[in-house]
Amino acid sequence: MDDQGCPRCKTTKYRNPSLKLMVNVCGHTLCENCVEMLFARGSGNCVQCDTPLRKSNFRVQLFEDPTVDKEVEIRKKVLKIYNKRDFDFPSLRDYNDFLEKVEDVVYNLTNNIDVENTKLRMEQYQRENRDLIQRNKVKLTREQEDLEELLLLEQQGNDQRRLELLQEEQRQLQTKRKNKQALLDELEQSQLPATILLAQHKVRAANLETQIEQQKQVVKPTNLFSTGIHMRQTVSLQPVPKIEEVLYLYKPLRVETYGPSVPELEHLGRLGYLNHVRAAMPQDTAGGYTSALACHRAVQDAFSGMFLLKR
Amino acid sequence: MFHNSSQGKFWIFKSEDEVEQKRYKANQKVRNKIIESGKPGVSESKLLEHHEEDVLFRHYEKRMLDFCNAFKPVMPKSVVGTAIMYFRRFYLNNSIMEHHPRIIMLTCAYLSCKVDEFNVSSTQFVGNLLQETPAGQERVLEQILEYELLLIQQLKFHLVVHNPYRPMEGLLIDLKTRFPTLENPESLRKNADDFLTQAAMTDAGLLFPPSQIALTAILNSASRAGLSMESYLNECLGLKEDKETLSKMYESMSRMKTLKKYELPKAEEVNAYKKKLDRIHAEFSSSSNKRKRGYEEDGHVAKEARLTEEQEWTDEDLV
Repeated sequence: MDDQGCPRCKTTKYRNPSLKLMVNVCGHTLCENCVEMLFARGSGNCVQCDTPLRKSNFRVQLFEDPTVDKEVEIRKKVLKIYNKRDFDFPSLRDYNDFLEKVEDVVYNLTNNIDVENTKLRMEQYQRENRDLIQRNKVKLTREQEDLEELLLLEQQGNDQRRLELLQEEQRQLQTKRKNKQALLDELEQSQLPATILLAQHKVRAANLETQIEQQKQVVKPTNLFSTGIHMRQTVSLQPVPKIEEVLYLYKPLRVETYGPSVPELEHLGRLGYLNHVRAAMPQDTAGGYTSALACHRAVQDAFSGMFLLKR
Repeated sequence: MFHNSSQGKFWIFKSEDEVEQKRYKANQKVRNKIIESGKPGVSESKLLEHHEEDVLFRHYEKRMLDFCNAFKPVMPKSVVGTAIMYFRRFYLNNSIMEHHPRIIMLTCAYLSCKVDEFNVSSTQFVGNLLQETPAGQERVLEQILEYELLLIQQLKFHLVVHNPYRPMEGLLIDLKTRFPTLENPESLRKNADDFLTQAAMTDAGLLFPPSQIALTAILNSASRAGLSMESYLNECLGLKEDKETLSKMYESMSRMKTLKKYELPKAEEVNAYKKKLDRIHAEFSSSSNKRKRGYEEDGHVAKEARLTEEQEWTDEDLV
């Protein structure tokens, strides 16, 4: 990947790490110095595509690909006009079609396809939907304001809590210091032996510690999530009620075979069945085959359904 | 196991009459259909009666058996049994006037090779049609594949067939183990095998569980050799206390023996009916041509050519 650089003065980021690239509506890059130089009078033409530009429209390039910057700029503008929302449409299908149309417009403008017609279409749309656009704009602004208010409130709450915490710490520090001072005073003035005083002091200090601990625990838990949802409102922290279930009871499988009972596979050898079948070859047994398997199957087949009479 | 198989649930019928009734209905249905279609030249006399169908059915069943027995590599008995069973099950609900038995029988054999894990490739399979040219074999193969799905569908996707052959092996093992009174159980094998071969060509498989057929085969063979097996039934199979079941077993065994034996149909009858059948298929049959059309999707010309080819291919040159 070659370095990004100004197409006019050929400076690159590599050679000048503090290079600031700027982008205007046409999507072509210029470095900050060139902008200062070329647009000293406030307006001029793009070096690459000759589009008339204003100096005030230059933005710092945020993306590696300047067309993305251009698209962001265009999208912002288009969405100001095409600001309908999903509940302005009778069906999801219509809304999706609308979104598709918006994408078309943005794409056309970004890639310079059929710009004139697209602009005309945009204007027409603007004329036709003037009321709705205005209304949605107001609504959007209001929602924006609501959101900001919420954020502000949260910010304030945070500040408040931090302040309280700070004050509390100060207070505790002060009490501790006072305590120490008192000990020193007492050691100086009291007639009691120092060991007793020290012990007293220790007890007092311990009391103080536990008090602080308690206070810390008492610190009121917030009952609001940062999103503004009340805690303990819908969330139940109780353990899920246990469902009592009857334990599984194994019942041996009983199959009605409509025939004489068949000896178990394991007993075939003991009962002498295996003396009458061909013994398995060593190479057969490698795969887990035993002659008992074939024998069992034959006997099972012989007895299965023997007494079954359909009449 | 047979006791919870689809065969036990759906393909064992109460009586011979019920089976015959089904065949009769299938015959009637197709007759009515052809007459209602109102094609030129349709008349009752040109269609096959139920008993005429039966003659042809037996003829083709024998042909299938011959084909299977001459098959290279040698087909195991259970594969042959399964194929015959498919053939019988298929024509329980279908008439030979609708689907020609000469292709159905090959399809049955082909499918049973697959289901019973007798591994032959399809080219190897049609390679057994010795009288066919390679091109002809190719054509037959195409037809087999065409009918295979229809066959599977008409078998209601119940593809596992429990044959009496393994039960017979099991019974012999059991006899050797628990019934030492019998000196040489192997001596029963030959006659029992014959019995099973004959039984395969009757409706026994549609009426009785395979284990019963096998037991009957053994008992039949024993009685021929003048051996009594009563104590085996009483002691080993535990029927001593259950006289009712025992008597019912005897009853069903005697029924099995009195089943209509397979008779080779007379050649002149077969030839007459075959001509009739071929005319029906050439003139009135709708379904087979339609299917071909869907399968081929060739132009009109190709289809015409196919039809004439089809007529050229008679079953005389099958085996």
